[in-house]
Amino acid sequence: MKQKAPCLDALLGLVAGLGLIALYAPLLATGALSFFQIVRVRGTLGFAPFSLDPYVALLANGEILAALSTSLVVATVSSLLALVLALMFAFYFVSARRGLGIAMQIMVFLPFLLPPIITGLSLLIAFREIDLGRGLVTIIIAHVVFIVPVVYRTVLVRLQLLGSSLTEASLDLGASRVQTLRYVILPQLRPALISGVLLAFAISFDETLITLFVAGSQTTLPIRLWAMMRVGFVPEINALATLIFLCTAAITFAIGLMQRAGERV
Amino acid sequence: MQPLLHLDNVSKRYGAVRVLDGIDITVADNEFLTILGPSGSGKTTILRIIGGFEGIDGGRLMFEGRDLSAVPINRRPFNTVFQDYALFHHMTVAENVGYGLKVRGRPKAEIAERVAEVLDTVGLGTLGGRYPALMSGGQRQRVALARAIICEPRLILLDEPLSALDVELRAQMQRFLKSLQRRLGIAFVFITHDQEEAIALSDRIIVVNRGRIEQEGAPEELYRRPRTPFTASFLGDNNLIPGRLAAVDGRLCTVDTAAGRLDATVDGPAPAPGSAVLLAVRPEHVRLDADPAARDGLPADVADVRFLGANVMIELLTPALPGAVIKVRRLADGAVAGLRPGASVRLGWAADDAALLQAAP
Ligand SMILES: Nc1ncnc2c1ncn2[C@@H]1O[C@H](COP(=O)(O)OP(=O)(O)OP(=O)(O)O)[C@@H](O)[C@H]1O
Ligand SMILES: [Mg+2]
Repeated sequence: MKQKAPCLDALLGLVAGLGLIALYAPLLATGALSFFQIVRVRGTLGFAPFSLDPYVALLANGEILAALSTSLVVATVSSLLALVLALMFAFYFVSARRGLGIAMQIMVFLPFLLPPIITGLSLLIAFREIDLGRGLVTIIIAHVVFIVPVVYRTVLVRLQLLGSSLTEASLDLGASRVQTLRYVILPQLRPALISGVLLAFAISFDETLITLFVAGSQTTLPIRLWAMMRVGFVPEINALATLIFLCTAAITFAIGLMQRAGERV
Repeated sequence: MQPLLHLDNVSKRYGAVRVLDGIDITVADNEFLTILGPSGSGKTTILRIIGGFEGIDGGRLMFEGRDLSAVPINRRPFNTVFQDYALFHHMTVAENVGYGLKVRGRPKAEIAERVAEVLDTVGLGTLGGRYPALMSGGQRQRVALARAIICEPRLILLDEPLSALDVELRAQMQRFLKSLQRRLGIAFVFITHDQEEAIALSDRIIVVNRGRIEQEGAPEELYRRPRTPFTASFLGDNNLIPGRLAAVDGRLCTVDTAAGRLDATVDGPAPAPGSAVLLAVRPEHVRLDADPAARDGLPADVADVRFLGANVMIELLTPALPGAVIKVRRLADGAVAGLRPGASVRLGWAADDAALLQAAP
């Protein structure tokens, strides 16, 4: 079975390579353009020499920084809230009767699986009905609804893998339920919890469509970017996109590490 | 004397399946009790009921005369050594072992001292700082044991703790378990499906089959005097010969079989004359005479001779008992050296070595 046609291998490699280039070329271009701006010199287009000007301008742009801090607050608070909820849902699923657990699971997943426009609209209507003014709070609620399934899924997989034997061993040794949770279950779940939260953070950070419905006068970073693009292109956008890409890549890398750690335990 | 633990007519169902059916078990203080039975007979279920991991559908569970049904797992004075050990892999060996004391809120210094003591007891003195993932099967086994004994429970439950170990290690752990139990003076309820292990370790064995107790007693008693066909064939080898009880005279019985009238002895009350019975004869108790001039016993032909090291197992076919293979065990010495398949022999046994059993209904 090891024997493979070498030309097939080469072809596969070529296709995969082209695919990767197609995926990453725009990102690379954005990154490059954030350091080398395009300028018009005596009627012809050319690259300006290396400069960090867009980054400097970015730091001076109060609107962008405000949007960034809103986004960070929203992503942090909502991913932590989602963590608590997801843990509770996951514990419920493994302990409840099968039918009830599945019903709960469908309810948890639905907002994630529905088209965002539907989820956003429903949330908007719901907030109107209960007279909740749109702002930071509604954004956070909307994000929690949207990212709980992600954390839930990560935690549940690990919890099911864990089975009941460690819990039983802990109770058998005289621990209470709370002690068992604290000393045995949570430490065992830690890699899953961290990677779930990171993933949720990343998703919340660039969620745009649902946020548009419920943001009111608040502006998150993706919304800010969107608005800026409509008015006209400024070099800061390249710088910002590059920074976001680097942060997301770092988070993804961390999630990978966490999952490796999880497998080892 | 009041038993330490008493399972009084306990029944358990999973859905429509009755897994335990009126089980009655007592455990005395300091006792090494083994529950022996084939796979699926309900052994683990019994242990999980004692530990509090499963409820019961009928009967009572008493500890020193108190009903335990309402006592949760973490308040029962027992500890369990699980089949898969269930060690906490994010904790070191010392943290695993000290866990029971930690959750009871004992001071750190006391825990450290006791952990060192217990690790010494199980022969892991220097390994407290290791993580269980980096240990061998036998060492993990000892960690699980240490973790279970540190809180000085009245009873330790062990679910086939040795089944994952290789033969050599297994024999070594058997000796260790037995000596540990004597030293600690804690009652052990030990589960196994290995009859040799049960015989080697136990003060008393309870044989279970399909959720019922077949027989209980000291290992020697069960081996010498099985009362049911199941016990007779599950504990060691037995030749079982069907027949009908003809007459009873004290302990001595005569049985009509295909090979004519045979004598046997019965323990306890004899079945009614005329009922279907079995004669059970251990392979080591079958007499075998290769002398062509011999006239005593049933004529038979050697079908197979298997060399088993110290022993040989000889299989005989006798026209008197069509369809039956009579197994004979002998020391592998000169007396059997010349025996080859096809040889004609005569076989027999002393009436005292043939146990009378009621045939399964
Ligand atoms: N949670 C459960 N749900 C349904 N049936 C079960 C459950 N646990 C055990 N059983 C059934 O109960 C019977 C007894 O199981 P148990 O685990 O007590 O057997 P065992 O004697 O320990 O067997 P083994 O030697 O294979 O471990 C089996 O037929 C098993 O299929
Ligand atoms: Mg079992």
